[in-house]
Amino acid sequence: MEDVVKGLGLLLEFENIILILGGVLIGVLVGALPGLSSPMAIALLIPFTISLEPVAAISMMAALYCAGTFGGSITAILINAPGAPPAVATALDGYPMAKNGEPGRALGLAAVASVLGGIFSLIVFIFAAPLLASVALEFGPAEYFGLAIFALSMLASMSGISSIRNLISGLTGVLLGTIGIHLTTGVERFTFNIGELEEGISFVPVLIGLFAVSELFKQSEKLNNVVERIHAKALKLPTWKELKKLKYTILRSSGIGTFIGILPAEGSTVAAIMGYNEARRWSKNKELFGKGSPEGIVGPEAANNAAAGGAMVPTLALGIPGSGSTALILAALIMHGFRPGPYLISETPEFVYAIFGAMLIANFGFLFIGLVGAKFFSLIAFIPRKLLWPAVFVFSLIGSYSFSSSMFDVWIMLAAGLLGYFMDRHGFGAAPLVMGLILGKLVEESFSQSMIIYDNNFLSFFESPIVILFFVLTFFSLSSPFWSKLFFKK
Amino acid sequence: MDKNKSAPINLGALINKTDLIITIVLIIIISVLWFETKNFEKASDLFANNIPAEMFPQILLIVILGMVLVLPFEHLLLKKNKKDIDSNRKKSIPNTTLFTMLLLTVIVAFSEILGAILTMIAICAALPIYWKEYRAKVLILYIIFFPLSVVFLFNFVLGVYFEPGLLEYILN
Repeated sequence: MEDVVKGLGLLLEFENIILILGGVLIGVLVGALPGLSSPMAIALLIPFTISLEPVAAISMMAALYCAGTFGGSITAILINAPGAPPAVATALDGYPMAKNGEPGRALGLAAVASVLGGIFSLIVFIFAAPLLASVALEFGPAEYFGLAIFALSMLASMSGISSIRNLISGLTGVLLGTIGIHLTTGVERFTFNIGELEEGISFVPVLIGLFAVSELFKQSEKLNNVVERIHAKALKLPTWKELKKLKYTILRSSGIGTFIGILPAEGSTVAAIMGYNEARRWSKNKELFGKGSPEGIVGPEAANNAAAGGAMVPTLALGIPGSGSTALILAALIMHGFRPGPYLISETPEFVYAIFGAMLIANFGFLFIGLVGAKFFSLIAFIPRKLLWPAVFVFSLIGSYSFSSSMFDVWIMLAAGLLGYFMDRHGFGAAPLVMGLILGKLVEESFSQSMIIYDNNFLSFFESPIVILFFVLTFFSLSSPFWSKLFFKK
Repeated sequence: MDKNKSAPINLGALINKTDLIITIVLIIIISVLWFETKNFEKASDLFANNIPAEMFPQILLIVILGMVLVLPFEHLLLKKNKKDIDSNRKKSIPNTTLFTMLLLTVIVAFSEILGAILTMIAICAALPIYWKEYRAKVLILYIIFFPLSVVFLFNFVLGVYFEPGLLEYILN
């Protein structure tokens, strides 16, 4: 309890509150703008927040992450163009409801379901994260290796067209993480005599390139897309009676979202689609789905926002990112000198509770911003792309340069942007590569330490029941395309 | 007669040509990296602890290679799941995108000479004009005020150092 109070004390400084609300505003804006995304905004934010206090910087990013998930639903409802992938399912019923003349009601349902889903997952977070961390405190290098391998295997089921390509991306990220001087032996690896590579590849330019610059190239293919807009004068909150009718859908979706979010590498998009499907399956009015069903809006919205909170659990408790955005938050934590994982919670619990508080404020923040700014947000999707994307590139340039005042980083950013574009074109995801890059150090360190302990005997990994459990989970995760088919056929 | 039994195996249909090219490129990269690992310096036994620096990257390269070899045939698996790996790449890359890439590369290449402010102005002018944004008033306001507001926010408020260049040289 003392730690909770301390954490909230850290958070409730005027500057921090302003930064959190700033994060919420940026989150809603980037979420609402098709093409811009929370991971991109977090990647762009990292270099500028590095000089801030860690609590302020990470809280701002966490707030942005929460709000970005909701922001995507605004354009999904008003112009049938989800601002972010997790809002895809919201468009299925949100847009028809808006077309039926109730855009304010659709936005209101989405906002309230998002808040409730977010709060549900935060309650789980506050109990589950310390519990998970206390278990993880018992982990040795071998157990961590098993856990990291399991997390990497989960990349296979990350959204995208192909499991194998996701895994190749993830392992390429791990391989990129080996560039530079090997900490154990002091040997230079893959530096090709380039001095700037001795310290390894900086996260920041790679993240900005993969998320922002590659998206710019993609958007340059569709600069003249025209969209039909529905005017929303105000956000209309659902009545108490309506909420009572929807309570089971919201609760179910919140549970699904939190669970999916906690699984490493599973993100809000999967949660939203599952939330929608389950809402439909349990609905008494299935025929209304696709025509503006309230359950079709609250189902995915509660789930995708709950997944955002859920994804923070493995990120902070284990140091294993739960999604693309949390992978970036993890990178930011490392840059601020923290060691994400069980020690973060056992040594600086107040810091974790401050992040929890920031996410709680963010949830109410985007409800407030949605209430007062619905009309404005229905307009922002119409910012001309021909002016928006050059601005994104300017921010990318400044962000990648300012981090270490190096032109080499700018070239890395551009190269990562080109790589990200071609990877996406051929079905290789950028998010698995980033997660691999961030997990890479943990994988190699735990592998090397285990091999030293086990005297180079691979079979010794099987002496630990926890490692065996992770290997079994890895097997199930990798073979899921086969067994899930059998399961669903029956 | 069972037609399927006597039908010859069509190798062309088994292999996805685009993925075959990707596989070849990736195998070349993996080979280069493999040989690079052979050139890593040898660490003294005191530091190496029987875990040589090349061991982990080599394991990764082998695992990646194993997966890369599946790529040309993966489209068959994906088709069964009603996924089309070629849907995104059926059309060739538009010239607009290729030129955008080239344009940004050129601007970045000259950014050290131009300095931060002129680089921003160049981006704000070149990209919209190339993308056929011809509303002169909007464009002029954008080219002038966006870079200025960025400089104000980042340089004066956040204290980010902007590299001087041609503009500063002329002004001084």
